[in-house]
Order: sequence, then C-alpha cells, then structure tokens
Amino acid sequence: MSTLASVTVGDQLPTRSVHLTRADAVRYAGASGDFNPIHWSDRAAQALGLPGVLVHGMWTMGQAASAVTDWAGGAERVASVFVRFTKPVLIPDTDEGVLVEFTGAVTEVTDETVVVALEATCGDDKVIGAARAEVWRAEVRR
Amino acid sequence: MPISAEHVGRRYPATLPYRVSRAKIEEFAHAVGDTAAQADPTTAPPTFAMVIAAQAWQALFDDPDLGLALHRTVHGDQRFSHVRPLRDGDEVTAVLSIEKVRSRGLGDWVTIQVELTVEDEVVCTATSTLLHTREEESAA
Repeated sequence: MSTLASVTVGDQLPTRSVHLTRADAVRYAGASGDFNPIHWSDRAAQALGLPGVLVHGMWTMGQAASAVTDWAGGAERVASVFVRFTKPVLIPDTDEGVLVEFTGAVTEVTDETVVVALEATCGDDKVIGAARAEVWRAEVRR
Repeated sequence: MPISAEHVGRRYPATLPYRVSRAKIEEFAHAVGDTAAQADPTTAPPTFAMVIAAQAWQALFDDPDLGLALHRTVHGDQRFSHVRPLRDGDEVTAVLSIEKVRSRGLGDWVTIQVELTVEDEVVCTATSTLLHTREEESAA
C-alpha cells in the first residue's frame, strides 16, 4: 500500500467508465432494497413527470466511492464520502445504455488523511457536485 | 400539519438489528463496481451503510405528524462518515433524527441523520438532505 505514502496534491485517480444499462439499476435495486419503480418502470417515472427511468442517485455515489476504494485499497481506508445529486441520470432502454464517467483528483494531503475531489459526468452533464472523499493514509484496522 | 422546524431534534426508536453478511456485501459490491470488496467481501463498501440507514428512513415516512411521502421526496445530498467500515458479522442498529428543516414555498429541505451502532459504538453516521414537495392544499 505505497500509493498513499507518496501521494501528492494533483494526483489523479484512474478514470472509471461505466456503460450504465437498466440491468445495472435493477441489480442496484436488489442489492440495496430500494425498489422505487422510477428506477425500472418508464410508466412510473413518467407518472411523476420524469422523462423516463433514471438510476438511483446512490448507484452513482456508490460507483464514485468505488473509484476511491479501488484506488486506496479498500473501505478500511475511507473516512468519509459526500455527494450532492445535481442531475438525474436517465437510462435508455438499449443494450449499450449510457456512458457515465467517474474521475477523482487529490486536493489536500495531511499527515493522516488525503482529500479526493470526485466528479461524475454523463454526456455534457456533471451529475454530482461538491463530491469528496476523505481517505486515511495509514492502513490501520479501526 | 406539514413538517416544520418544530420537528427538529425528533429522534426515532432504533431499528431491529441488521446482520451484515458476506453474501450481501458481495452482492452490493458487484452492484457498485467495488472490486476491492468483491475480492474481499469481509469489509463493506462505504455506501453499503445506506442499506441499513434506509430502513431507519421508514420511521420518518410513517410519522403521521410530518406528512411526508416517499414519491414526493428527492435525495439532495448524502454523506457517510465512518469511524470504521461495516464488516461481515456486524449486528447493526440505526437511529434516525431530524437535524434541520427549511421550508420554501411548497418545498421542505429536510436534513436527517442516521447513526449506525455496533455493540454500543457508533461506527457510521449517514447524513442526508431530502427535498420534499408538499401536496397542494386540497379544498376539501
């Protein structure tokens, strides 16, 4: 785990590109227990004035957090994660789905922690805002 | 009566214990693409805490004083602060409290906090801001 020993401000996390399909939303619904029909039924989404099925905001946050855990070496390292949900991510009913990209950059390094600013984009939209994670530099089981 | 600032500080009884399992961690890790947790499903991804926090949310929507409905609620932001990650075998209880209410027009911004406790120790705090839209006052 030398990644975080030598980390400096400006370091980039590997970009995570996900082709999000409706199957991913259904999978997240099952894993999380959030079966709100706007995440799998166009009819339900449209009844609420939405254009169509959108992914759970928590899926987006989960993927952003995974960009951090995969870079940092697991959840033992993660002290906090914050995300503001700025735009819904619509999922077309196609095999290829829609591309969502997750990036992260180190903005602060202290003796104990590293702060990572996170972004997620879908087309021209930034779908999360003010997103950041705080990561422990030392691998200590807490 | 809709939710208002007078409800700030309201705290609900703890949820029934939720036992974190390797199988559920694995399933969740797959759903959010956490390869670290897929390789070692003894430690849950940071946002797994939502699976349990969401059970505590039920108390909020069941409280007749507040008049909240899930289908009129939008998730504005979310924070997880971990003392440590959730792990396979943890027996977790969750307590929800209302932290802040700001009303504007037909909308109420509600900040709620869920404390996740294992063996009397808070291991994670999940803080959420929800935007709730009130139903138009009916003439009836």
